[in-house]
Order: sequence, then C-alpha cells, then structure tokens
Amino acid sequence: MNLVNTLISAAFLVSVLRGITPYFLGASAANFSERGGVINIAIEGFMTLAAFTFAVTMSFTGNAALSIFTALFINVAFSLLYSVFTVKLKIDQIVTGVGFNLFIEGITKFLLMYFFHSSSNTERIEDIPLIPGLKSIPLFGEFFGDSIILFAYLLMPLSFFILNRTRFGLRLRSAGENPKAGESLGIKIRSYRVYGIMISGLLSALAGIWLAGEQNSYSDFMIAGRGYIAIAAMIIGKWKPVNIFIACLMFAFFEALQIAIQTSGTGFPTQFIQMLPYLITVLVLIGFIGKTKPPAADGVPY
Amino acid sequence: MHKAVEFINITKSFTGCISNDSVSFSIQKNSVHCLLGENGAGKSTLMKILFGEYQPDSGTMKIDGNEVRFTSPLEAIKLGIGMVHQHFMLIEDFTVWENVALGYEEVKGFKIDKNSIIKSLNELISKYHLGIDPEMKVSDISISAQQKTEILKLLYRNSEILIFDEPTAVLSPVEVNEFYKIIRKFIEEGKTIILITHKLEEVLEIADKVSILRKGKLVFETTREALNKEILSREIVGDVKIEPIGEKLDHTEIHNPYIAFSNISLDENGVFLLKDLNFEVNKGEIVGICGVEGNGQTEIVDMICGLKKQTQGELRLKETPVSLVPDDRIKKGMISQYSTAENILLKQHDRKVISSKYLFESGNYIIEKYDVRLNARNSPLGLLSGGNQQKVIFARELESHKKIMVFHQPTRGVDINAAAYIHKRIVEQRNSGKAILVISSDLDELFKLADRLLIIYKGQIVMEISGKEFQDTSAHTELLEKIGKAMIGI
Amino acid sequence: MTPKAKINLISISISLIITVALTSILIIVIGKSPVEVFGKLFLESFSSGYGIGQVLFKATPLIITACGLAFCFHASIFNIGAEGQINAGSFVMALVAIKLAFLPVFLSLPLSILAGFLTGGIVGYIPAIIKIKKGVSEVITTIMLNFIIMALVNYFLLNFMAVKSTMRTEKISDDMMFLKFANWFEFFHGSSLNIVFVFALIIAALSYFIIYKTKFGYDIRAVGFNKVASEYIGLEPSNLIIKVFFLGAGIAALAGMNFIFGYKGYYEYNFTNNLGFTAIAVTLLAKNNPVGIVFSAILFGVLDYGGLAINELIPKEIMFVVQGLVILSILSVNSIVERKLKGRFGS
Repeated sequence: MNLVNTLISAAFLVSVLRGITPYFLGASAANFSERGGVINIAIEGFMTLAAFTFAVTMSFTGNAALSIFTALFINVAFSLLYSVFTVKLKIDQIVTGVGFNLFIEGITKFLLMYFFHSSSNTERIEDIPLIPGLKSIPLFGEFFGDSIILFAYLLMPLSFFILNRTRFGLRLRSAGENPKAGESLGIKIRSYRVYGIMISGLLSALAGIWLAGEQNSYSDFMIAGRGYIAIAAMIIGKWKPVNIFIACLMFAFFEALQIAIQTSGTGFPTQFIQMLPYLITVLVLIGFIGKTKPPAADGVPY
Repeated sequence: MHKAVEFINITKSFTGCISNDSVSFSIQKNSVHCLLGENGAGKSTLMKILFGEYQPDSGTMKIDGNEVRFTSPLEAIKLGIGMVHQHFMLIEDFTVWENVALGYEEVKGFKIDKNSIIKSLNELISKYHLGIDPEMKVSDISISAQQKTEILKLLYRNSEILIFDEPTAVLSPVEVNEFYKIIRKFIEEGKTIILITHKLEEVLEIADKVSILRKGKLVFETTREALNKEILSREIVGDVKIEPIGEKLDHTEIHNPYIAFSNISLDENGVFLLKDLNFEVNKGEIVGICGVEGNGQTEIVDMICGLKKQTQGELRLKETPVSLVPDDRIKKGMISQYSTAENILLKQHDRKVISSKYLFESGNYIIEKYDVRLNARNSPLGLLSGGNQQKVIFARELESHKKIMVFHQPTRGVDINAAAYIHKRIVEQRNSGKAILVISSDLDELFKLADRLLIIYKGQIVMEISGKEFQDTSAHTELLEKIGKAMIGI
Repeated sequence: MTPKAKINLISISISLIITVALTSILIIVIGKSPVEVFGKLFLESFSSGYGIGQVLFKATPLIITACGLAFCFHASIFNIGAEGQINAGSFVMALVAIKLAFLPVFLSLPLSILAGFLTGGIVGYIPAIIKIKKGVSEVITTIMLNFIIMALVNYFLLNFMAVKSTMRTEKISDDMMFLKFANWFEFFHGSSLNIVFVFALIIAALSYFIIYKTKFGYDIRAVGFNKVASEYIGLEPSNLIIKVFFLGAGIAALAGMNFIFGYKGYYEYNFTNNLGFTAIAVTLLAKNNPVGIVFSAILFGVLDYGGLAINELIPKEIMFVVQGLVILSILSVNSIVERKLKGRFGS
C-alpha cells in the first residue's frame, strides 16, 4: 500500500513533471539536428560536457548565470566542431557521434581529476537560484520557480512553432527531407544543417546544466544514458514536438516509478522498468506500435 | 516574333563523352517548342544548361536577346526561367503550399504568412485550372497533382520560360489532356514553353516548332505546318544500318525455351510496369528487346534476376542464377574498388580459399583472353575506361558458364572496338547453345545481334520481327519506319 | 606494399602525430612536460616484463572484440552493440562454466566458450534480422539493445546468480582457469597476461585470412562496397549481412574469456567498462584490418596501462582524452586524404 500512496501523492506528480525536463530538452536537441538531416547520437556527450562545464564554473565562481553561459558557450563550440566533421568533411554521422562521445567522456574524466582530484565527482555546488515570486507557490514552487523547467515546457509549443510556422523551420526541414530540392530553390542547405546542430548543442547543454544543478554536483557517468533515452523519445515521438513531449512524460514517469519502487522495497524488479524506454523504441521501429518515419534525408551527408 | 532563347554553338561533354555537339537554334517567344530525340541524344543536357544546372564547355546562350552565363539555377530562376524535372524536386513530407513557398516565403514577423501565400496560390490555381488543394501533403496526392505542384512553383516565381522534361511520361490519358489545356493557357498568357519528349502524338497535338537532336547534334527542325509523322519517326531513329553478324536463325525451327514469360504483369502502386507480357527465349538464339527506355526493360531484367516478383503470371527459367551484364555498370555491375581478378572472382562460387597466386593467374588469363587494357594489373576497376570495365564484367559473366545470358545495353558508353569485340563474343555464345536476351535502345546493335526482335512499349510487346524479315534488304526503309512508330506507340 | 596500404599507413601516422601534438598542448597547458609524460609512458610500458605483460593483457579483449567488429564494418554494418554482445555472451559463458563444472575440463571449457559465442551471435542476430526484414538501421537498434541487455543481465544476475551483495557470479572451478604467462616465463612475473592473448592472436590471424583470403571475405567486402551491385551479381547481401552480424557479434563476445578464464574467474556486471566502444576506435584506427588491429589494440593497451604509470605526473585519465583524440583525428584525416585522392583520379 505504501507504493500506491506514493504514486498518488503530489510529490510524485511533481517529480514526474520535473523529471521530464532533461529528457525533453535532450530529445528536442536531437530533433532539431535530425530535422535538418544530421543524426546526433552525441547528445549523451553534449549533456555530459555541459553538466561538467557548468559544475566546474559554478564551483569556482559560484555565479549561476556565468556558469550557465560558459556551459552554453562550450557546447556551441563543440557543436561547431561537430558540424565541421559532419557537414564540412561529410564524415559518417554515426561514427562522428561515437567519436565525440568517447572524446567528451575522456576530457571530462581527465579534467575532473585535474580540478578536483577525484575520479567520481566535483565538490558540492550551490543551487541555481529559483525565480523569486514563482518559487513561493505552494507544492509546485520548485517546479514553477525553476527557469530551466519553465523553458523546457515553453519549448514544446515554441519548437512546434519554429519548425512548422517559420521560414527558418521550413528551410531547416527541407535540409532534412530533400536537400537537393531545397538547394534547387536557393536554400543554403549546409548552413541550415549547421544551425540545426547548434540548436542541438544549446538544448542538450540546458539538459546537462539542469541535471548537474539538481544533484548539486557533477559526477562521472551522471547522465547515465539519458542522452540515448532522449533519442529514443524522439523516435517514439516521430520527430514531432508534441509527441516527443508525451514520450518524455512517459519516460519521466518510468523514472519516478522506478525510484518509488526501489524506496518502497516491494521487490519488484526495476530492471524491467529501466529497459522499457529502449524496448518500446525497438518495438516502435519494428512497427509493432504505430508507424514511424524519420526525415527522408536524415543521416545522409550533403 | 522575337526570340525568347537562342543557343549558339553550345557544346558540352562529360568525361570524353560528347553530349551536345555545337548545337544552335532558337526558341520563339510565346510558342511551344518541342525537343525530340532518343535517350542520350542530349536533350536534357541542353535544357539543364539553359536552367543553369550545367555550364557549357563552349558556345553562348541568349535570353531575350541578351547574352547570359548562369552559374546556378538561381540565376536562371531570377531571369524568369523555370524547369519541371522528369523526377520531381518535391519534398514529400511538405504540403503543396510549403513546397511552393520554400525559398520564396512571405513572412509576417517571425511567422510565414500562410494565408497570403495560400491566397495567391489559389488565384493561380483557379486561373490555370490546376485543381489542387494547397493544404494537402505531397505524399498524399497523385503524380499528376505533384506535377501541378511543380508548375505552381514556377508560376509563383513568375517564370516566363517554362521547361518540361518528359512531362506526360507519368500521366494517364485524361491527365495528359488536362496538361495540354494548361499549356494552352500558358500560351494565352504569353509564356514560352519548351517540352522535352519522346512522344509524337504530343508533338502533333501541341507543338509550334520541333527540333530533333540525335547523338548530341541538331539534325532536324520544322514548324507546325510542315509536321509529318513519317518524317519525324524516321528522323528520331536516324540512319540505322542493318548489318547482321552471321546467319539469323529461324526460331520456328527451334522450340526449347530457357526463358519464358507468360502473361506477366507487374503493378507498382497501381501503375502497370509490365502488362500481360509474353515472350520466350530459346536455347541457341538471341532475342533482342528494343524500346524507348523506361517501358519495362529494367523490370524484365530485375525479374529474371529474382530481384522483383511479378504480381501476375508465370516466369520460368531453365537455370538460376543467370548471367547478367546490367545497364548501369558502375552501380549494378561491378565493385569499383576491386581489381579485375577480384571482380571475376565474385562469380566463381566453387572457390573457397583465394591465394594471391590464384588471383594473379586468373587476372592474367582474363586480361589476355578478353583483351582488357590496363596500366597495372591490380588497379581498381573504377580507374579503368568504360570499355575495359565492360569487358571485365562481360568476362565475368561468360566465365561463370550459365545457360541463360542477359545483356542490358551491353555496349553503352563503350568505344567502337570494344563494342565490336563484345558483339562478336555474344554471337559466339549463342552458337555454343546459350539462350541470350539482349535489351537495348540501340537499333544498330540489335540488328547486328538478334535472331528475333521484340518491340516493347508501356510494358507490352507491341511488335515482333523475325530475323528473316530484316535480312531482306529490300524492305528496310519501311521496316525502320514501322519500328520507329511502334517504339513510340503509334 | 600496395598504394592503398601505403595511403592507409600515411593517414594513420598523420592521425597519431596530430593526437600526440594535441595531447602535448594539453599537457603543456596544465604545466607539465610532454616529453617527460610520453617518455615515462613508454618507459614504464616496455622496460619491464611486467609492463609488457600488462600492456598485452589490456590489449587482449580489444583485439578480440575489434576483430568481430571488423567483420561487421567490412560489410558496412555499423554495429555499436558490442557492449551488450560482450556482456550477454560473457555472462552466459561464465554461467555454463559454473553449471558444467561436473564435466571434465576438455568438455566444459569448449562448451562454455561456444555458449558465449552463440549468445553474442544471437544478440547480433536480432538487429540483423530487423535490418533485413524491416529496413531499420542497425545503429539505433544496437544502441537500444545495449541497454536492454544490460538490464536483463542485471536482473538475472542479481535475482538468481550473484554472490550476495556483489555484482558478480560465483567463481568457476580452478582447473578451468587458463595458465598465466608468468607461470612459464619469470620475465612476465606478476602480470595477468595469459593464454587468451595467444587465442586473440589466432583470432586476428583467422579473421585476416577469412576477410582477405577467402571467397566469403571477398563477398562480405563486396557487399560493404556496393550492396546494389552485389545483389545483381548474385551474392545475396541480405543473407551475408545476417551471417556477418552473427559471426561478428559472436567473436566480439569472446572477449569475455580474458576476464573470466584468464583473470578473475567470474562474470562481473559491466566488467567491460566501455570495451565495446573503445574497440570501435581500435578498429577504425586499424582501418578494419585484423593485423592492424593487433597493433592498434596494443597502442590502446599502452594508453590503458601506461596511464597508471604516469599517474604521479598527470592524472591517468589523460589517456581517455588520447583515445578520443585518436578516433577524431583518424576520422578527419581519412576524410581529407580520401578527398585529395578523389581529386587526383578524377572519379
């Protein structure tokens, strides 16, 4: 009964609604890149890099705004590097993604050791300040007061609007669907692909920053596959912002459920919940659950 | 009337293969100008030059009397030139209006001004009776509606000179009539139309002027008043020499079918690529299939190779797999990164372990036996000339010793010597008792090789000519005219 | 040497030089001497039998997994599921070894290795069949399968097999353990290098032979180069892709032998610690050539073991940076070199 009580509590609801944040930011990051035709499986690495940069800057300066800015800046730099590999040099996007993940894992491990003499985590960092006024809302203060969470929720309609209603979105999607047709109408396909990757870098940075802020430190392997779950959510959500949001909501629920089960001590094997996002993704890909179709030129160098 | 477009000595070649050879002619403003010719005659190349996709090697081009030199289609579009490609340049996942507006979007603040775009599209749609819904997704509309979307793209950009590359190839008869109506409306509005086509009916129906290209050269020009079916069909086919190699067999004497297509239909998304197709290829004969490309030839090959399955009917083969020399050697015929010997090896299924010595010897053997010319024995096949690549593929298929051999455009892009060599060996193979199918759009070649000739049109055999018939030299002119007509469906 | 081999060697060398240069910059930035760091790295790795032994010990699983991946990559199958394949295979391998302890070693040992191979192969078979039947790229399915497999292994391990409050199985019987080199050669004293290294070399030699000297190998590479043409030539690419995926994943899974039979004597959850991904870097650096893989695996072995040796100068984690740099520089150098060549041949 303990578990049921937990599941119907407001705290559980809040944890689901909060937990969606990194997934949706990460999935939107993957989506902006893929709608432009570039697969980015380095989301995991990008999230790691930003979480690390944020935590390091935060622990040295204590200035949240500066730390967020630094993390965004570094991620933009890496996105540009990723564009050089995938758009300029037209190297296989998957191989590049694997390479970036390995490299980022290496550099963060090294710098973690160098700065903090620890192979596992940074020092404790302060919270990101909540938005005054909103934070005092009862029960949901931690939800509405958190600027990154608010941004993630705004991002759902915003990314829908950008992708479907603006000139930028139309042109970006043409780069992901049929670059040749786009180019024949004078669209600078390669530039748009680079923009997509940069948005991807920025959004995954926010996801990483939020996670580091949540646990008040950076620790090795803290992203723990969330970058890949984000990609899974994008696939299940069929590359559409609203659907992706729903998929992320489901995954956030699984995550919260898993923690609730573990703490309740019911002994239900949580591994099965852990693997659900991945299993559902495979089933969706096979076509057991709905049909899914990536952008037509997704992953094709141009 | 003044000239909308003028070509002066346009020459364009691709890696040694000449595509436009000093072509000069002009297109009158506000007229329908048809460009006729076989595949590979250079029509599309010339139009792509006009549209800025290619740059000519030499020669000049004038638009409305001013000399122009385009480096990209964008510059052509700005001068009011638009082109509907044979393979549409549409984004399937976009709606009609999104496809049309892309690159030319009206915006209101950050937002695309969809209402205003749709309003102007609807005006164009009703003016030209296009009858399409701008809010539909392109993947959900018919081919004809997709073509109208392409037309809408040109109209939205105010194109004055509209180029169509084989616009009616994909349309049903009713849709073709609709298309003609749209073209006539364009003429009323003062626009200039250029049509690339294979179809004579089309020319007779709509053309003001016709230019025929053959092997890159302008060979014939006429105006509407002087149009005549017979002359046209002869000019397209050109001077074909009927020069058989050796004696033709009389197939009525042999009946031992190695390939048998009976009542075969192949239907993809409601379009019949093959329809009630019937023919046989017997042991010891060469059957030639002739036709304008895209009338079902590729599908016949794919079915014999087991890569496509018929929707109806029965295909019987004496032996599988068969030997195949495909039409596109780079894409379908060879591994460019492999050497000669390694490419040969791919069909030597009894070999399990491959020593360098074996490769060396088999390479030598092939190079000598098939007269392959190369600078280094190990050079990858991709670096050889077309003729030598074709010889290697040819050698591989011969050395795999199959009972059935299929040759699809066996000498395309191959020099004269290599072609003669390949022809000689094909006849040898027939004499040794193989059943041979040669599919080609080169009539010269088929007359040389075939014991029987089948003409294919829209996935059906529309005519059969026996070897006896084309050995009778007295009736050649008539025969050629008959074939020319059958190939274009009249 | 063929021109192609020469070009490969040159681009590999350039990548290594770039890696060393960038790493040196990083070392200088944090105020250390690259000469000292690299000097110590190689000195420690190669000046003692123990060092050499440890380097080769670290290289062993990399050689095996990378050879499995080489098969896949030659057929243009991008298998990033090695991590899951190794864990599944090794888990079953250890399990069979434990359960068959009643049999004589000459039976139980080959049976458990075979079980590991088959399990890895089946894990590779799943994305292969999905690719062929449903046209779904193996990239996403193998990533997803990694997580699914890890969760499954975790479940079965913790609920049925694990030694209490650990993440590992019980130990296999001692007579199934392989001999260490140190048992014969005093030179390698203290190092964990064992027979599996020889086994890895045999796998590399066999892989080389199969890929470059058999009809099967030629067919695999033909499919990788040009799938459409291989279809017209009659090589049945779908069939080959399934076979290669099974074989490659099965071989990759054998890497667990080093840990189980050569080192610890049990399966431990996630003992691979990213082995499946590092092996991708090893394979890419070696241009998918099994002989090259032996050398590139040894280089990665140096980075792994040598990291420990230089830890007093600079955090050993610098070696992870080097691994990442190697893969990024080989990718970019390859692409640039290939472009230059294309220009020259005009094709």
